[in-house]
Amino acid sequence: MDKIDPEEYEKRVARITSLFSDIVRHSETQSLTRCPYKNKDDRCTASFGCRYKSPIKSDESLPQCDSDDLLDYRSAWDTHPESYEKMRQQLQETILNPDDPRITSAGTVSTVHKTLPAKVGKTLFDYADDFQLSVPSSCGRMGQCHECIIEITEGMESLCPKAETEAFLSESFRLACQSSVQHSDKNICFSVLSRSPQILTATQTATLDRDPTVIRKGNDVYYQDELIDQFRGGIFGLAIDLGTSTIVMELVNLQSCEAIYTCSFENPQRFGGSDVMNRISYDAGPFRGKLHRVLINTLNDKIFHIAEQTQIDRRMIYEIVLVGNPTMRDLFFNLDVQSIGQRPYKSSMEHAFLEGKRTTTAITSLTRKLRLAVNKNARVFGAPIIASHVGGDIVADLVTLDLAVQTGTVMLVDVGTNTEVVLKSGNRMVTASCPAGPAFEGGLVTFGMPGYEGAIESITYQEDQLTYQTIGDVKPTGICGSGLIDLLATLRRSEQMTPMGVFADKAQAFTVVPEPRITLSREDASHLAQAKAANYCGQYILMRSLGVTPESIDKLYLAGGFANYVDPESAIAIGFLAPVDTERIVKVGNSASQGAKELLLSQKKRQDIEKVIAQIEHIELETTADFFEIFVDGCQFKPMQFV
Amino acid sequence: MVELTDIQNTSLRQEITEYVEKVNERQHLIQLYSKARPDLQDIAAAIVAGDHETVDRLTEKALQEEIQALEVMDDGLIAGMALVGIKFRENFIFVPEVLACARAMKAGMKHIEPILSASGIKPVGKVIMGTVKGDLHDIGKNLCIMMLRGAGFEVIDLGVDTSSDDFIDAVEEYEAPIVGMSALLTTTMPNMGKTIEAFIDADLRDDVKFMVGGAPVTPAFADDMGADAYGDSAVECVDIAKRFVATSDS
Repeated sequence: MDKIDPEEYEKRVARITSLFSDIVRHSETQSLTRCPYKNKDDRCTASFGCRYKSPIKSDESLPQCDSDDLLDYRSAWDTHPESYEKMRQQLQETILNPDDPRITSAGTVSTVHKTLPAKVGKTLFDYADDFQLSVPSSCGRMGQCHECIIEITEGMESLCPKAETEAFLSESFRLACQSSVQHSDKNICFSVLSRSPQILTATQTATLDRDPTVIRKGNDVYYQDELIDQFRGGIFGLAIDLGTSTIVMELVNLQSCEAIYTCSFENPQRFGGSDVMNRISYDAGPFRGKLHRVLINTLNDKIFHIAEQTQIDRRMIYEIVLVGNPTMRDLFFNLDVQSIGQRPYKSSMEHAFLEGKRTTTAITSLTRKLRLAVNKNARVFGAPIIASHVGGDIVADLVTLDLAVQTGTVMLVDVGTNTEVVLKSGNRMVTASCPAGPAFEGGLVTFGMPGYEGAIESITYQEDQLTYQTIGDVKPTGICGSGLIDLLATLRRSEQMTPMGVFADKAQAFTVVPEPRITLSREDASHLAQAKAANYCGQYILMRSLGVTPESIDKLYLAGGFANYVDPESAIAIGFLAPVDTERIVKVGNSASQGAKELLLSQKKRQDIEKVIAQIEHIELETTADFFEIFVDGCQFKPMQFV
Repeated sequence: MVELTDIQNTSLRQEITEYVEKVNERQHLIQLYSKARPDLQDIAAAIVAGDHETVDRLTEKALQEEIQALEVMDDGLIAGMALVGIKFRENFIFVPEVLACARAMKAGMKHIEPILSASGIKPVGKVIMGTVKGDLHDIGKNLCIMMLRGAGFEVIDLGVDTSSDDFIDAVEEYEAPIVGMSALLTTTMPNMGKTIEAFIDADLRDDVKFMVGGAPVTPAFADDMGADAYGDSAVECVDIAKRFVATSDS
């Protein structure tokens, strides 16, 4: 046997160490974007579970990895193989032992319509399971993905204290997986976020210009002139109407130009406040970026849901068109929104545009930069904005209604957390944004709620008898926007409430439904008055600026989430809408969503709308000299008056 | 000037043609392989293929045929690994493949070790490595093991989901003075501390030094648990282990 010279051997060791060090350093860089357990054939070598592992087929030794490296692979790892089940078992064996003295059935845990006895140690996620509610989660319920946000409407003090991981959530919000029952003697009530409200499928069926950006050429898929993929069997796009309270998402086949699937859900950012100003200040705080991430997580969750429902591979989604007010849009793109919160309320994009640094306020970005779970090379087009708070959703309305080419005097009122008004008369077009707040969408009002099942959506009053209709014809749990407008009009017509919102017998509250008790308080009425006043001011000031009277309006388009359910007569009676002859009022439903779809299908419309935007004058309501007087008038529940 | 065709081993020729694009690297490898004996070219090719059984067999055979151990290392084992490094850097292969190649290299080094000890060269030190209880993530730990073995350490790999008792048993059986623990989860990370406590209970704490690492582990956390050192990267664990050896010798 030969001998080895130690010095010579040392040289070899140094050589190997340097080789291996290079390998380790490269593996560290690579692991930022690619799961290290994935081998060269995209198969998974991990011995633990992972969401991306596809089931093993008999002829394969290793499971296929379904990840396209767009998303953080770590969140998909089943990092706690049995821990959740184990924890549950332990709980059931020990704490949930029925003989345990800590357990009493005095308290309950409930959500809309469903109630179970409160049990110490059981998490609200467990209850959501029992209630068969779908709550998103991708971390195995360990408090890490922050997707399972719920709102506690009653009994917060009966839950365990907030965990460190929940610090970003404001007052009444919790993570379902982290909130377990600590005291079972009182009632706890919660509701899940991203519930699905009643939605409108678009009413307008305009002939669509069809020149989408993404097309198939033979076996290739092109975005404009750029080759981005091999044809996978279909080309799809998503149209997203990103509202402050509600998000509508539609999957569109870009080849046949058909909408295939629509879903709508609550904006999950509600924990950061219910209106845009609150969200802006939340984003200035210690949790900057959180709103963006929570939104992206939820959108991805829905993309997976849509893909599953339609059996369409999400990698066949090549473009997203997003419309929304400037704050929502820029939070989506993870841009700084602070300048929108201060006068002159303009986004950084608008400032750059006005300074001549940009030619458009539209944004085009790669979806992978935002970690959206669609095709790797897909693009997202953020529709341009008009000015200040008047954003891409209104642009989309204008696309749908083709308002620019309409003759006569037309007014668009898009009702929402922020109501926007556009008025066209002769060759002038003016617009304004009215910060109405969430009172008509479920916020601030005690029994207010968005248009979910169980919401009172209309109210009539005949022969001293109040009758109501709920969504889904079930037991009422609250009142949605259209119901509130009916209620206020009814109270006025029957003189049970003064225009100032004072109840006839000076009562503190009016009982709408005795059992289960649903009431409207003085305070509720005052919130509604202010929300309504914002709508009133917008319409009034715009009409006055162009010298338009209600009689001279040829068409009033009513758009927005709950607008289709609103009874125009009730809305006029309380001054929510200008007193235009109801025959000339056209409900256009969710025209922003429809407009997003048209922008998705047509490059020409994207170009054309820029020209329209350039013609629109923006009016800042607050700078109007007599704004305050108009606002005070608007706070009264009576028809709008023109002097 | 040597040409690609001067390399006898066909799979090495193919590998170079297909994966090595940089001219200087290509030339360097052609020179390296073409001057190597065909038997050693076969070892290099088996390393690149990650075929540890073939490397095992061929290395044993080459040494029996009285080829010098250093030559086997240079022209077979290290030469093969050089190409693996390039393929990995250019994203033709990924971590699982690299680890397979490292395992093949170890199969060859196994036959070199007796010659090393006969020449009076001892392993730098002995290290026990494992991922802690409840944790099934092993890539970080395996990269550490690759680095340590490459640097001349003897490593006993306890794999994943390693209990405190397994660590204690291994330390007693192999009389290893160094224990490396890895954890990739915030939930399993505390098990490092529990293992250290178990060593205290077993009255073995003074016999070993602990080094810890893994994505969620921080220097502060390592310190709180009573670990002797924290490593941010697999490259660092060699320096730490060497430092441990140096302090225990003095």
